[in-house]
Amino acid sequence: MSPLARQFPLSTGGSAQGIGLPNGAVELVDLTAKPRFGIKGPGSSAWLKGRGITLPPVNRIGTHGDLRVLRLGGEDFLVVDGELDTLTVHWNNATGPRGYWSWREEGWAWMRLSGRAVDGVMARLCALDLRAGRFCEDEIAQTRVAQLEAVLVRAGEGFDVFFDIAATAFFVRTVIHAAKQAAGERT
Amino acid sequence: MKLLTCPMNGPRNIDEFQSLGPVRAAPDPDASSDAEWARHLFRADNRKGVALEWWRHVPSNFFFLAERNVVTNEVIRTFAPSDEGRP
Repeated sequence: MSPLARQFPLSTGGSAQGIGLPNGAVELVDLTAKPRFGIKGPGSSAWLKGRGITLPPVNRIGTHGDLRVLRLGGEDFLVVDGELDTLTVHWNNATGPRGYWSWREEGWAWMRLSGRAVDGVMARLCALDLRAGRFCEDEIAQTRVAQLEAVLVRAGEGFDVFFDIAATAFFVRTVIHAAKQAAGERT
Repeated sequence: MKLLTCPMNGPRNIDEFQSLGPVRAAPDPDASSDAEWARHLFRADNRKGVALEWWRHVPSNFFFLAERNVVTNEVIRTFAPSDEGRP
């Protein structure tokens, strides 16, 4: 492996190596290797507006072409999907106020929960009312999921969770535990 | 579950918050006496009644203010520091 290759907790040699992801009534997929763009601090919103991106309100998700723009605060943004390389290159070459890079790729694990039992499991992992109609497609919940501080959004019939990458193994074990409880197993 | 309303995120479990203590005026360290400075550092008023306090919603790292009755623990209101009406 190249010394420059990024290493993720679940990859060989990673801190959570050997942890199996549930793949039954609840499925957990690790998207941590997917690229994302994160900036925060003064100048962030002005820079994104300067790129022609219409900004959503705080804790809402906007779209710009294929980009999904998650606004986590007045000057705190996470962008996923779409052509992120172009955005990153433009940001790296910008000379004016542009916020600062918030290291979302290196710092946050990105897990997708889905499956027929996902609602019951999420009810055990998070205190918020996440039922359809109460937690909408374009909403962001910054809350506690699986006892960890997390950013939570809908992803189709499931949910995407962003959290501290150092807690990957803990998160996976907590989801497995909650899935067993939701299935009525003794844990 | 005890709830506290974050001005940015709405009502949330109290577990999601960190209390940062009452808002206090900081004396000028160059102009204050040693006794005044020591009092600022090491002593708290701890008066009965309504206190204005700093709180933080941890998952979003949002800092805000709350008026709380420290006897009854009733939270009268919470608001962002930038909001109008800040005392």
